[in-house]
Amino acid sequence: MNQDDDKKIRELLRRAIPPVRDTGLQRDLWPQMLKKFDESAGARVPWFDLALAAAPAMGLVFFPEMIPVFLYLL
Amino acid sequence: MSSHPYLRAYMAGITVPTISLLLGLTAFTIARFGYQVPVPIERVIVFPMAIVPNLFGLWNILYVAMGSGRRLPIGLHGALLPFVLLPLAFTMATSLGFLTFGQDALVWLEVLTIPYSVLVAIFPVLLIIYYLVWKYLVAFLNGLLGIA
Repeated sequence: MNQDDDKKIRELLRRAIPPVRDTGLQRDLWPQMLKKFDESAGARVPWFDLALAAAPAMGLVFFPEMIPVFLYLL
Repeated sequence: MSSHPYLRAYMAGITVPTISLLLGLTAFTIARFGYQVPVPIERVIVFPMAIVPNLFGLWNILYVAMGSGRRLPIGLHGALLPFVLLPLAFTMATSLGFLTFGQDALVWLEVLTIPYSVLVAIFPVLLIIYYLVWKYLVAFLNGLLGIA
């Protein structure tokens, strides 16, 4: 491959891939990121589910013989 | 990521029971070989290893297939699974010989006697566990894999 070939390839590439214009951000993305953070911070476990989660814990404390049964079923 | 939704639903569904299988298998192995509890591990392990993960996967496929208009909230959908799972579990355990039904209690693994009253009381607890597992874990995995 000589220098002429190099030039030719360079020229072909230049023609095939148009130059990119306006590479800067069109808008500020940080507010969107902050909104995402707020959403994930707001996704708390409701008290009803926490109360429900206490039931299996109590059940296993009072009936430990059920532990193997639960392990078998999950 | 819009292709193969059922495959992804299956994969999301089997993850939780597959991980909990490791915990269960560890507990049974320690009990069997560490403390010489006569657990017929090779018969016990068939159900949690083969049936439970597949049922979770298929149940999650059903959830995805029902579409957003017809399906129940995922927690309730998961809480219905024990109604399918328990009869299968009892049938399998009975046929493999490590569960026998007595007069007022069932005998589990030949060492655990569980009165029917306890079993009835504990059934809602199983529903709660399934509700929470599906609402939080399976739903999280579904979100991660871009389904539902």
